Amino acid sequence: MIEIDGVSQVFQTSGRQSHLALSNISLTVDDGAFVSILGPSGCGKSTLLYIVGGFVTPSQGVARMKGKAITGPGPDRGPVFQEFALFPWKSVLGNVMYGPRQQGVKPAEAEAQSRRLIEMVGLKGFEDFYPKELSGGMKQRVALARTLAYHPAVLLMDEPFGALDAHTRTRLQNDLLNIWERDRKTVLFVTHSVEEAVFLSDKVIVMTRSPGRIKEVVDIDLPRPRRRAELLLDPHYQKYVVDIEGMIDDTSEDELHP
Amino acid sequence: MMSGRKLIASAAPLLVCLGLLGIWQIGALVLNTDSFPTALDALRAVPSILGDKESLVNILASLRRMAIGFGVGLAVSIPLGLMMGRSRAVASFFNPLLMITYPVPKAALMPIIMLWLGVGDIAKTLVIFLGVSLPVVFHSFQGAKAVEEKMLWSGAAMGLSALQRMIRIVLPSALPEILTGCRTGLVLALITMITSEMIARQSGAGNILFNALDMGQYDTVFAMIIIVGAMGIGLDAAFEQLRKRLVRWSEPRFDLPLSFS
Repeated sequence: MIEIDGVSQVFQTSGRQSHLALSNISLTVDDGAFVSILGPSGCGKSTLLYIVGGFVTPSQGVARMKGKAITGPGPDRGPVFQEFALFPWKSVLGNVMYGPRQQGVKPAEAEAQSRRLIEMVGLKGFEDFYPKELSGGMKQRVALARTLAYHPAVLLMDEPFGALDAHTRTRLQNDLLNIWERDRKTVLFVTHSVEEAVFLSDKVIVMTRSPGRIKEVVDIDLPRPRRRAELLLDPHYQKYVVDIEGMIDDTSEDELHP
Repeated sequence: MMSGRKLIASAAPLLVCLGLLGIWQIGALVLNTDSFPTALDALRAVPSILGDKESLVNILASLRRMAIGFGVGLAVSIPLGLMMGRSRAVASFFNPLLMITYPVPKAALMPIIMLWLGVGDIAKTLVIFLGVSLPVVFHSFQGAKAVEEKMLWSGAAMGLSALQRMIRIVLPSALPEILTGCRTGLVLALITMITSEMIARQSGAGNILFNALDMGQYDTVFAMIIIVGAMGIGLDAAFEQLRKRLVRWSEPRFDLPLSFS
């Protein structure tokens, strides 16, 4: 279980001004839940994810993982970034093997595991390619496999499909859900797409912009496994999307009329 | 099979060299002065220099100093540059120092260094070291600064310590930039090698050149220029081969990335 308890984040901007990016955020994420953090750009949703990852230390409050305060990054929390952040000097296989090797898994075993994962994300045959030679969608598949390879308890996904075209994005959403159905890891998923959040999640956390606050927490009560074609026709799905879009609209009006 | 255009492209450097020698030859024949021997005369003097045992010992001594200066230069500059690129404190400490020393011709420090260390190997190697260091520090610094933060985070999540991230993420990802600096450093090593020997006239390739100049042996002067130039081209080409092998990953195998989601 992840607990975020009274977290605020202040950034020093140029000119010695401080910018309140997150204000008093508290939430809990249950084990095995798929939770999306949804909000307009600049609402600090990525920062919240980085705090859980241990990459950023909050100005106030504390984030806990299984009851222990998070003080830094660790292999129990695996990030997947919008920028992929693959190691360009390593092949696809080398990238995926990196984590297990660092964890002390024997080379032959790490390789066998990694080849299975590469096949699972649909990249069989590309093991010896370098990241530069791959399209954006393929790179993100590699990044996902690389993170899954060291068996984190939690996946931290930072707008992972944000840089991809609509078609690729849809394919990757479907594939991510299929992979997630197998072992139901805890996922914390940052996005600004309402449809993406509703399609994937058990729970959607809607945030307001500057300072980032939690506006609403919506439980998505749609059956799993979810199939896109059925879901798009499901009035419940449509209602969730319309309702949540409304919440985001309200947010921007608050800004226009403070 | 190479196509015609490729053949011309690969032969171009050779054609340019031959063209320059041709212009030299004609120019020298037209001017007809003692201080400007023809290209053929200069080329004829090359084998006699390389065949002379003492000259060869001198040239090898130069190359040895250059290799040591270059090697020590890399060993110091690459870690320094990488640390500057990742730590603002280290950068703000060393940056002013670099800004001051960058525009100073390293050979201009030679008289002072000679005063302290004498005219021997140590002084000359030190000047070469200084000449190599600046471009290598600068490029390592730039390369390390450009490393994507998220890549380091990914490493940290896998359990890499700060030192491991420096060696196993920052170093390889800055390598293309570092090697660009090393290539400049290699050419500067050759230049400072010659100029240091010009000032501290005791041994070396530069010493042969300037002694010949003093004695009016102009074909030897020009032959030495050819030899030094050829060494420069040879070293640079060899380094470029090595560089290409080390950073093969940064150059795509195909013109366009594969399209596949």
